[in-house]
Amino acid sequence: MNFLRVFRGIGLTLSLFIPILFFANQESPFSSEYRPKDSGFVFIQDAKILVGNGEEIEKGNILISSNKIVSIGSAVEPPPGAIIYNAMGKWVTPGIIDIHSHMGVYPAPGIRSSSDGNESTSPTTPHVWAEHSVWTQDPQMPLALKGGITTFHVLPGSANLIGGRGVTLKNVWSRSVQGMKFPDAPYTLKMACGENPKRVYGSRRQEPSTRMGNVAGYRKAWIRAQSYKNKIDEYNAKSSEAKELEYRPTRDLELETLVGVLNGKILIQNHCYRGEEMVVMLEVAKEFNYKITTFHHAIEAYKIADILAKNEVCAAVWADWWGFKHEAYDMVWENAAIVDQAEKGKGCAIIHSDSSVGIQRLNQEAAKAMAAGNRAGFNISPARAIRWITINPAKALGIESDVGSLEPGKMADVVIWDGNPFSIYSKTEKVFIDGLLKYDFEDSLTPHATDFELGIISPTDNRL
Amino acid sequence: MKLNFLFRLIFLILLFVSPFTFSDLLIRNATIHTASSEGTLMGYDILIKGKKIVRIQKNIINNTKVTELDAEGKFISPGIISPNSQIGILEIELVPETRDDQTDIYSAGFTIDSAFNPFSTLIPHNRSAGVTMTISSPSSGDVFIGLSSAFLLNGSLENSLIKSSMAMIAEISSGEDSRASKILFLKDALIMASNFDIDNIEASSAQLPSNYYLAIRDIEALRRVMNKSIPLIVKADRASDILEMIDLSKKLDFRLVIMGGKEAWMVADEIASNKVPLIIQPIDNIPSSFNSLGARLDNASILSKSGVQLIFAAHEWSSHNSYLSRQGAGIAVSYGLPWEEALRAITANIAEVFNLEKRGSLKEGNYADIVLWDGDPLEVTSFAEKIYIEGVEFSNKSRASKLKERYLN
Repeated sequence: MNFLRVFRGIGLTLSLFIPILFFANQESPFSSEYRPKDSGFVFIQDAKILVGNGEEIEKGNILISSNKIVSIGSAVEPPPGAIIYNAMGKWVTPGIIDIHSHMGVYPAPGIRSSSDGNESTSPTTPHVWAEHSVWTQDPQMPLALKGGITTFHVLPGSANLIGGRGVTLKNVWSRSVQGMKFPDAPYTLKMACGENPKRVYGSRRQEPSTRMGNVAGYRKAWIRAQSYKNKIDEYNAKSSEAKELEYRPTRDLELETLVGVLNGKILIQNHCYRGEEMVVMLEVAKEFNYKITTFHHAIEAYKIADILAKNEVCAAVWADWWGFKHEAYDMVWENAAIVDQAEKGKGCAIIHSDSSVGIQRLNQEAAKAMAAGNRAGFNISPARAIRWITINPAKALGIESDVGSLEPGKMADVVIWDGNPFSIYSKTEKVFIDGLLKYDFEDSLTPHATDFELGIISPTDNRL
Repeated sequence: MKLNFLFRLIFLILLFVSPFTFSDLLIRNATIHTASSEGTLMGYDILIKGKKIVRIQKNIINNTKVTELDAEGKFISPGIISPNSQIGILEIELVPETRDDQTDIYSAGFTIDSAFNPFSTLIPHNRSAGVTMTISSPSSGDVFIGLSSAFLLNGSLENSLIKSSMAMIAEISSGEDSRASKILFLKDALIMASNFDIDNIEASSAQLPSNYYLAIRDIEALRRVMNKSIPLIVKADRASDILEMIDLSKKLDFRLVIMGGKEAWMVADEIASNKVPLIIQPIDNIPSSFNSLGARLDNASILSKSGVQLIFAAHEWSSHNSYLSRQGAGIAVSYGLPWEEALRAITANIAEVFNLEKRGSLKEGNYADIVLWDGDPLEVTSFAEKIYIEGVEFSNKSRASKLKERYLN
């Protein structure tokens, strides 16, 4: 490292800062440049509010100041100068969060030129980062905004055992992906079980071609990561004098990500359909002492709902998709409800989309899953089910202190619906991100048109 | 041996008896969505005898022995018809050996009837969610995809098929070959078929490019399009493609149905004035290709205002979840389509366009393919409580409900 030579001899005081600077550069390239402008005071009045923390307010107000929620309740008053929105007869929820999206990496139109979600050239690619594929002009993003989506998590695809880093984005228009990145959101790592990796590589007569090959692949990667972690830890434990005498271990882009997981800084998002495979993955996590945050597409989560709840692992599921592959054959409509109710309601259920059509109506998908659960004998209220698309995905993404519920101090990501969001006939009227009105059904200039929309059908008008 | 025979006998008896309750049925005090010109009837009774609806009126006086069912607070609709699926000919998309929806041997004349599996798990799954009939079709091919047939979702080995080879499907804008070339080929093939001379096959087939083989079976099917005994369903999203097909259908004089139609709203008046029915996925507003840049959620509403006859399918022509056409219908309503028209788009309009007689609407004399809902049939939180196909009640059990029962407790 050049700087070691440059700074050698400057003195102990300064050299103490060097590792810190070094880490700052190494750990946070491409950091968020999202800075919303000041929203001032915004006041939403007389709404029926699903808070996101399980509570419901029959008729309440929300005060937003400088991009944050300040207070919520029926006694809250608007300060002078506040922009007031009357929401009488309307419903308000936190901004909706989709934990499984490929917007930007599989944008529309779906053409080979911009199909950038799967680095399917090797089964283990922890060194690739989804954010480096994101096309910020994807026209799917403003459509999702109209569906109430204020935050979404973009993942690499599932061709690989270890597919790369995911990124959490605010659903705002920007010229750069850094301009969309959720400030200080932890990185995530996509892993995939089952059919996809073994099909992609097996068909090339390459490992893995079986499920046991899959598991061997994960374990081999974690063994490498552990030994790299030991090297780094050993180096970091040395005295600063000793550090001056030797080089820091060479950076390794693949292993840095895996070590981030072992250090608890990067959250595992694991594509996994089958019950027994999820249990195997929990064992792998135990063997290498890391945590799985969420199983995605967990069609069979209902079979192991108690195990998931005990291990504090979320299951992100569809309301009703099934049958497109064998591992998606054992569907039940009550999947989310059974996960939610496991261990006396300690389960963590999430409804995700993995679809640019589904992401526009996660509220309806949650409604279907809630209704199925109630028909099976549970008593799940809208105030509880809204958590499946707000606070639960926020927890699973490590951003629950900022979003996911309408509580003081949190970012003012708020949706006003023209009716019960659990009805097919309800639509969003207004969507706020950090207190700023990003979609207003009465303003045809919202949502902000992406570059894609401009002049592509008619040279004089936007696409929609 | 004897025991074996006895088992078989019991099995056969069970097979015939268990799901079928042949007694006549009188459902009282329901909200009946007829999907006919009668619209919605509140607090009406419906009397079913044998396979048919014999009466729909208030306070039916009945002297014969019937099963009575009080449906106060419930809703009745015609069974949903899936307008284009692979139900019965596909079990799992990524398991090729469970698929019978594609062929390299035939094209225009490819009929899938003999592959239909009445025991597919997709049948009870969709039925339990309110689907009573499917128009199943081959899924892909080059220009000519094949023929569609209509099946009841009654799971019957003998009586599933109700109308064979009743429409042909074609596509003109997928793959890498020029759409212009595909449209030329479509036209040439139809002209060749109508002039086809069985005694001079060589001269007939010389009218087509040598690398495109049409078997006699394919040519016969094309002749049925040209003599208007079946419609030609063309998959097209782009506005200009839709107009090209309307133009061709007028020149060659065949019955056209457009499937896809994401940009149809741009040419709504032309579609309406030529009376071309449209099969769309109202939930899909994604400009997923350069052929569908104009996709939007109020497509159905705009088309309906122009007077276009609409049919709704589930997203991506889903077979496993064909019933989700009702979610699309509900979304179309929220974007301005009249509710009754949305219901017709998943029931009566399909029966009308494909001449499925006495199906798709609740009228005296029609088959009793009906669903009793616990709420608004287009609402995502509503469930099908009872399902009848030709007057026979089916349980709403399926593989999904069996799995649920196992793991719920």
